[in-house]
Amino acid sequence: MVRGLRAAWLGAVLCLVGLVVPRSAQAETLRLWHAYRGDEKAALEALLAQYERDTGVHVETLNVPFDAFLSKLQAAVLHGEGPHLFIDAHNRLGALAHRKVVAAVPDGAEVAPVLREAAREAVSMDGRLYGLPISMKSVALYYRTDMVTGPPDQLENLRQTLRAPLGAASYPLAYASASLYFHAPFLHAFGGRVLSDDDDFQFVGSEAEASLRFVHGLIEDGTVPASADGALVTQLFSSGKAPFAISGPWLASELPDGLPYAVAPLPIIGAAGEPMAPFLTVESVFFTPDGAASPRAAELGRYLFGTEASILRRRDARVVPARRDLPPSDDAFVAAFEAQADTAVPMPKSMAGQAVFEPADKALKKVLNGTMGAAEALAEAEFRFDDVQRPPPEPASTTPALLILGALMSLAALAMVKRARDRSFRAEVRRSLPAYRYVVHAVVALGVLVFLPLSAGAAISLFAGPPDEQYFVGLHNFWLILTARGGPLLANGSFYLVLLTTIAWTLINVFFHVSIGLLLGTLLARPTLRFKGFYRVLLIVPWAVPNYVTALAWKGMFHQQFGAVTAFQLKLAGLLGMNMEPIAWFSRFSTAFTANIATNVWLGFPFMMVVTIAALTSVPKDVLEAAKVDGASRWQRFRLVTLPIIRPNMLPAVVLGSVWTFNMFNVVFLVSGGEPDGSTDILVSEAYRWAFTRQAQYGYAAAYAVLIFLLLFGGTRLPAWIKSLRQRSRSVGEDEPGPVGRPVEVKA
Amino acid sequence: MAAVTIEGLLKRFGDTEVLKGIDAEVPEGSFAVLVGPSGCGKSTLLRLIAGLEQADGGSIRFDERNVTQLEPRDRDVAMVFQSYALYPHLSVRENLCFGLRLRKAKQKDIDKRVDEAASMLGLEPLLDRMPKALSGGQRQRVAMGRAIVRRPSLFLFDEPLSNLDAALRAQVRVDIRKLHDQLETTSVYVTHDQVEAMTLADVMFVMNRGRVEQAGPPLEVYDKPQSRFVAGFLGSPAMNFLDGKVEGEHVQINSPDDGDGPRVKFAPAAKATEGRAVTVGIRPHHVEVADVGVPLKVTYTEALGGETYAYGRVAGQPIVVRLEAHERVVPGDVLKLGVDPECVQLFDADSGRSLRW
Repeated sequence: MVRGLRAAWLGAVLCLVGLVVPRSAQAETLRLWHAYRGDEKAALEALLAQYERDTGVHVETLNVPFDAFLSKLQAAVLHGEGPHLFIDAHNRLGALAHRKVVAAVPDGAEVAPVLREAAREAVSMDGRLYGLPISMKSVALYYRTDMVTGPPDQLENLRQTLRAPLGAASYPLAYASASLYFHAPFLHAFGGRVLSDDDDFQFVGSEAEASLRFVHGLIEDGTVPASADGALVTQLFSSGKAPFAISGPWLASELPDGLPYAVAPLPIIGAAGEPMAPFLTVESVFFTPDGAASPRAAELGRYLFGTEASILRRRDARVVPARRDLPPSDDAFVAAFEAQADTAVPMPKSMAGQAVFEPADKALKKVLNGTMGAAEALAEAEFRFDDVQRPPPEPASTTPALLILGALMSLAALAMVKRARDRSFRAEVRRSLPAYRYVVHAVVALGVLVFLPLSAGAAISLFAGPPDEQYFVGLHNFWLILTARGGPLLANGSFYLVLLTTIAWTLINVFFHVSIGLLLGTLLARPTLRFKGFYRVLLIVPWAVPNYVTALAWKGMFHQQFGAVTAFQLKLAGLLGMNMEPIAWFSRFSTAFTANIATNVWLGFPFMMVVTIAALTSVPKDVLEAAKVDGASRWQRFRLVTLPIIRPNMLPAVVLGSVWTFNMFNVVFLVSGGEPDGSTDILVSEAYRWAFTRQAQYGYAAAYAVLIFLLLFGGTRLPAWIKSLRQRSRSVGEDEPGPVGRPVEVKA
Repeated sequence: MAAVTIEGLLKRFGDTEVLKGIDAEVPEGSFAVLVGPSGCGKSTLLRLIAGLEQADGGSIRFDERNVTQLEPRDRDVAMVFQSYALYPHLSVRENLCFGLRLRKAKQKDIDKRVDEAASMLGLEPLLDRMPKALSGGQRQRVAMGRAIVRRPSLFLFDEPLSNLDAALRAQVRVDIRKLHDQLETTSVYVTHDQVEAMTLADVMFVMNRGRVEQAGPPLEVYDKPQSRFVAGFLGSPAMNFLDGKVEGEHVQINSPDDGDGPRVKFAPAAKATEGRAVTVGIRPHHVEVADVGVPLKVTYTEALGGETYAYGRVAGQPIVVRLEAHERVVPGDVLKLGVDPECVQLFDADSGRSLRW
């Protein structure tokens, strides 16, 4: 016993030491985060290895996915565990600065003259340099040297460069048209802009509309595919179905070896009279506050930015360097992008700049697939942008809230004191003391793991502002939500519209869950069924597979081009002799909603089925036989006997299923992603967007969450409350059961 | 009202043959009882008549109508289950209405019949209760009421009294018979209790191992059992059996040693050929204590007040006899028993078939 204790203490000490020691060892290591893949990653690692050989300083790298970068950085820096350096795109500078995870470059003024103008502008704020640019990226024009003679002089003359006529299902030019990033070259050519210097939405007006009309025309005359994503563009270009493609340097790594292609700067648009000017993204080495204070980190930064490193990157990763003091490259690929960089427009770096894309992409989609006119769509986008960018609410006085809280607490205290003074209560507590010992750990666990976060989350709903500077606004967030932020009550994105969508979603899903579950449960409960065990396992599988895996699989199946559902639909149409277009599942509310429902029904019916099977065992066999003899058909037996008997057993399951469906984030977010245009979003996914994609409006999202909770709480309490009312009215006529065995009087 | 005619009915469950060819006739309006030990197939037969099981051979006819392939709902039968099988989610009134509602009867007619059945069975104060608030006896009456309301051509009862306590059983037994007399509907009643069978039946079918051993009015079956099984099944205490050999007008009871055992005289029977190995059957109350007769060595007595039962051995074979209450007998006594030859049953020692009937 003593030995065991000693061992335990030793172990504890060792653990503590183990925790402390690496901390100090970290002083020797530099940490660098990046989101590179492929050639760029290899180049970076080669540079770092060289650096270690030269200086003996070990650099620990962490590969963080692009989407998670910002939040991970913030969390890590907050706890003092972030990297010294990280590599990110310049357009996030505004968000990085807002979250206070980036510091000015030490001795930045020395570095500035070496930079290209656009790169310097991209990473400067308030006249100071905040990053060391190491590469510049934009899109350019890829073309198949075996299919065209060369880049056209004007975009309108694309077809004239073709060596031979194109085959069926081909487009002269492939690019991702429904994305603002890829639409920017056209916009800039027509003289439009995305954001003004004052962070006002500029993707409106005659220039923007002209660019949209132009692209729409390209789609109409078959020059460009109606909607394409990156994967499709790659596929079309490499298979020869599109001799021209607009894409960035990343496309090269996805093309098969030996494909004959070349790159050129984007051509002029004749109708605009100006060349197409894409967005420029400047990737830079940034310093965290810790990193800026470390001379070692500064040294590493300068190394990565240095001429040697830049030349190596240019050679191995084929990226355009941001320095202008390098010898010219002999790689035609890099030279083309370099030439393009001269006319490229740096992406906006303010936080507002990031908020432009969501509404702009939505507007683009609508205009390009003909759902809405250009002017209307852009005006809607501007409205959305302003809505998200609206100034945060005024801080509210905490006095009323504190007064109410104080009053409630005093009332609670009074009530507790009153109870405590009751002698029988005290005696009861004393008697139950041993019981509390058994319960206390569960209460503590529940309290810490459930009630505390719940209350903290609910408390956040009373605050607003940037994540690290939240201030009290009382019930203002709730007020905003419930008045649909001043817009029409059923406008897109308003609480009420999303609520209606969620209710419809829940009702339809639960209906199918219960009917299918009931049907299959009844079938499986038949004693004469063979292979019952096999069916049971098979039918449980949908529930057993993690539901985000299911959601992603179904999303893939509904893909308009490659999906299994589409293939099935076309096959079926072919069999029936109909000529059908593949359904674009996510371009209309009805079909996107159906796709979500199909996935969720597939996910949810096993639960109901299992509950049904269990409930059916409570139906006595002889009661069903009595019904049979009484003259009930199979359907009548089911409806009049089985269903009423299992109903009380099924009810809890149905309530649970409804609550789970109401909050089914995974399916809605992953399958339709709220498409089209956020219309299939339900309350939870809408709340998510407010918290994590629309500039961290945590208070607003928390208010959403509180409202969801209240809705569900009320919704589940309602049947119980109705039942208790009904029972109270019925119990008026109840008596005790009569005596056993009264003599029967049979009247003669 | 319908007469039930069953011919060659066969039923198999898997590899087991539960009914091995049943022939039975239930006259119209009579109360037929299927009685036998557990596992003899009586419940299966009842369920076949109801249509809850499918026959593997043979036929069932109600009057001239062949119902063998018909669903229960088309046979116009009503059944009272052993466990009552009331609809737990419906009130008593709704339980009674159920069958009529299914047949789309008019509400007026339904109410009339329900009230009629309720008054017949004393269910009026219970009509709005749920089954779970009823006692066993009340539930059984509701189950009967449910059957009565339908006014079917055939009532079926599946051991309805088994779940009641003894006192209630006797009372309800009488009530069931009275009900039958009032309604005059053909009834088929299954029980393992021979007292119920004897008291309720107009015609009794004694079943054993998937066959009808004997059918007929209860007293006839009791007095003239055609097989050893039937003879031993009816009557309590059961009939005594002694093995022996025919010698002229007597049966020589086998004795344990080589000597001569006692002799019992029997009424003339053609099949009782000389030397035939037979089993003699004598009911306990068919013996009298006399000066000469079969010697009984008493080993045990039970004095019930109204009568006394003496247990003992005759030629080594166990016997129980019924004595008048005043006759004082103690273990160890040797009684001389006299038997009326008319009351002596004779069965073939191997087949058990009666040699008299």
